[in-house]
Amino acid sequence: MEAEVRTPPTICGMGHRMKRKEDARFLFGKGRYVDDIKLPGMLYMDIVRSPFAHARIKSINAERALAMDGVVAVITGKDLEKYNLHWMPTLMGDTQMVLPTDRVMYQAQEVAAVIATDRYIAADAVEAIEVEYEPLEPVIDPFRALEPDAPVLRTDKGKTDNHIWHWEVGDREATERAFQEADVVVKQQIYIPRIHVASIETCGCIADYDPVEGKLTVYMTTQAPHVVRTALAMVAGHVGLSEEKIRVISPDIGGGFGGKVPIYPGYVIAIAASVLLGKPVKWIEDRSENLQADSFARDYHITAELAATKEGKITALRIKTLADHGYTDAAANPSKFPAGLFSICTGSYDIKHAFVEVDAVYTNKPPGGIAYRCSFRVTEAVHAIERMVDVLAQKLGMDPAELRFKNFIQPDQFPYKSALGWEYDSGNYPAALRKAMDLIGYEELRREQAERRARGELMGIGISSFTEIVGAGPSRHFDILGIKMFDSCELRIHPTGKAIARFGTKSQGQGHETTYAQIIAEELGIPAEHVQVEEGDTDTAPYGLGTYASRSTPTAGAAAAMAARKVREKARKIAAYLLEVSEEDLEWEPGVFRVKGAPDKSVTIQDIALAAYTNHPPGMEAGLEAVHYYDPPNLTFPFGSYICVVDIDKGTGQVKIRRFVAVDDCGHVINPMIVEGQIHGGLTMGFAPAMMEELVYDEEGNILTGSFMDYLLPTAVETPRWETARTVTPSPHHPLGAKGVGESATVGAPAAIVNAVVDALSPYGVTHIDIPITPYKVWKILHEKGVV
Amino acid sequence: MKTTIEKTFTVRQPLEKVWSYLSDPAKVVPCVPGAQLTEQVDARHYRGTVSLKVGPVSASYKGEITIETLDHETHTIKLVGRGLDARGKGSASMTMQGQARALDDNTTEITNRIEISVTGMLAQFGSRLIEDVSSRLFDQFTECFESLLSGEAPEEAGQALSAGSLIKEGIKSVAGRFFGKKEGNE
Repeated sequence: MEAEVRTPPTICGMGHRMKRKEDARFLFGKGRYVDDIKLPGMLYMDIVRSPFAHARIKSINAERALAMDGVVAVITGKDLEKYNLHWMPTLMGDTQMVLPTDRVMYQAQEVAAVIATDRYIAADAVEAIEVEYEPLEPVIDPFRALEPDAPVLRTDKGKTDNHIWHWEVGDREATERAFQEADVVVKQQIYIPRIHVASIETCGCIADYDPVEGKLTVYMTTQAPHVVRTALAMVAGHVGLSEEKIRVISPDIGGGFGGKVPIYPGYVIAIAASVLLGKPVKWIEDRSENLQADSFARDYHITAELAATKEGKITALRIKTLADHGYTDAAANPSKFPAGLFSICTGSYDIKHAFVEVDAVYTNKPPGGIAYRCSFRVTEAVHAIERMVDVLAQKLGMDPAELRFKNFIQPDQFPYKSALGWEYDSGNYPAALRKAMDLIGYEELRREQAERRARGELMGIGISSFTEIVGAGPSRHFDILGIKMFDSCELRIHPTGKAIARFGTKSQGQGHETTYAQIIAEELGIPAEHVQVEEGDTDTAPYGLGTYASRSTPTAGAAAAMAARKVREKARKIAAYLLEVSEEDLEWEPGVFRVKGAPDKSVTIQDIALAAYTNHPPGMEAGLEAVHYYDPPNLTFPFGSYICVVDIDKGTGQVKIRRFVAVDDCGHVINPMIVEGQIHGGLTMGFAPAMMEELVYDEEGNILTGSFMDYLLPTAVETPRWETARTVTPSPHHPLGAKGVGESATVGAPAAIVNAVVDALSPYGVTHIDIPITPYKVWKILHEKGVV
Repeated sequence: MKTTIEKTFTVRQPLEKVWSYLSDPAKVVPCVPGAQLTEQVDARHYRGTVSLKVGPVSASYKGEITIETLDHETHTIKLVGRGLDARGKGSASMTMQGQARALDDNTTEITNRIEISVTGMLAQFGSRLIEDVSSRLFDQFTECFESLLSGEAPEEAGQALSAGSLIKEGIKSVAGRFFGKKEGNE
């Protein structure tokens, strides 16, 4: 179903497949990324990194490096310590080293930085720095981390063990009782491995401190420039950096996916270097540094249980999870949610009782716990529940579609209050699954599967009927560093009827320049091509919390609509003045106010814009502009049903995805083409960890997948063909009825793929396979289970 | 990361001669490509260095070698070496267990089992390359040891191990496996 279209193509409001305004510069290779920026007198930074996962630094000898032509400075933790800048806070209230003074905590950790006149000299100087280490026993396995004799990693915090926090939600006793009374209980260990967003552009910045003005400008790969500015002012206020003197500019970003939310040590070192040297300092990570040191995602060791009646009605869910956070909790969650929104794990199902607990531990691995294209641990939650529903179906001998229909929250139950405390805004889960089943020909596929099984062939069908929770978030619960998670739009209409709109979010490829323009076109009738959208410069854009967790449309998109409506209200007053009628006598249609009953008496938005500057009503302020800070009343709950069909080669263990149908529902659609593009990309980023991606460490803490030689990503060759469709269930509380969509597919796809593979192997007693499902893993199972 | 290699080879020399060489670190170590003994601390403890260059990563490990087992009855020797890279690029440890066995009066079979554990930059190359490179190193060691026993001067003993050729061979044999060729069959 296409979205309802209310504007002509000349205006191009909501529902139009408008081509992306930003694509011209990307397709011409004219995008402007941080590394494209060159400032006069700019110096270059490169970083010495630890070869050990855990070691004491005995000495750092930079003599040879400093003697090299072109080397300007070498910065160590001891240097930063003089300014009390060697540690910094994380978003989760933990502490993280900028540069170490005595101990390194993971392989590839920053140890020292070289500043040189040339990128290559900096790299050579890194090689010339001699660091003497005393290796210490590393803690790599998170279960080992909790053993009483495991080395304690964060003695600096006065810790006596490696446990970071315990978090729980739900009714433990009621859930316990439901499990005792259940006809059927299933239990499954599920590991969701550590993965990395691996965006095309790595992280980097140019820190440009002007010693005369005392002003710091930072060009930076960040998804949240305003938060960075405030955080810098908080962390470095004592050395004279004051928020009005800090400008953060996030230019074009080559993919973020959550990986560009944290403030990495490299940024801070570059800023310190620029302040110390009074010159611009550029730091750009190479690929391996990005993969080895920047925030990971996932790494949840989940034990999940479902209780059900013998007819297949799920009565309770219980989950216990161990979260490996690396050496510091540097997750990028809202402050009050240490495990993010993991408690969405009751999913699309009406489950009366649920209890979830998560324990986080320190290990000698890089810090993180960022999202990888999902709203704060929602993928972990969806993967757990969607896998468990299939485990239960298998145990009951019931079709997994039938079991889902039996347990779905029904359309008339919305707004639905979940057992873990969320109020789902809207949904129609049976419709989405039915549509996906019809598109793929589910019943026919099951018949085919029975025939193939009789011939000994391996074919599987997997379903994932996920529910997301996106658009953080309402100010009563959601903040980062205490700053409420609203977002903003500042809209100005020029005298000629064109507009500029600035936002607190920051596109990294999502198409904001087009989508936001279409929202304003929808609300004001100004052609979308004449709405200029700007983001990412903290000196010009209104304050906002940035783009991640599919929050831009739910928050800033809503702010755009609300700001436009404020402008329209003023426009109505001006129109009444120009037409010499009262405001109540006016009717609005996109771009025009008409007098009721005399439709040829009208003024266009362009006439009104000109009048706002040339002939505004007496007693009214001139100009036509508005600002709106949108505090969402609730989150939005996009959903969908995916069905995947796989064939498995018995000889090689290779899983081939024959078909993949994705039915998504993100409420009202602003630009269907962009939504489809987001889903295609999201499906590929769901396919990737399902089949290929994993950050693997050995027992010494060496990363064994530290380059793209070993960390596999799908290319166009491996990626299946995606079939997409949609249902439309508007959000009742969003001004446009829209939800978020950037991450739905990443969240929903892996479970559909795993469910299909397990379904293919279920006749041989396979109930679960951890991702990534590599050919070798399948091949081993085929041999262990005696399939071949 | 750990790699274990086990190889068996025979030499046309009597057991006692082979054992006298195999049980003497001063003779064994120079045959390890890139390795040098720098000091004998006591009968069972030595100090030495190993220089290695794999692709862009060069490492120079400085450390200790200990004879953990020296059994003249079973002709078994166990050497344990541990070293840190002089410039902080990582660490390596190696355990070598060698055994000599007479097949006949003039033929001796040597079984060598080497466990190598590497931390840091070298480890990041991943198991595929490290295994192949180690295997090549081992072959060089064997060749050197055989020529040493037969009285020929080992050509490259003690020299720093050269880079490009090894990694190229490593890649070649990985590629060979990938395309289904038998190793060494290019």
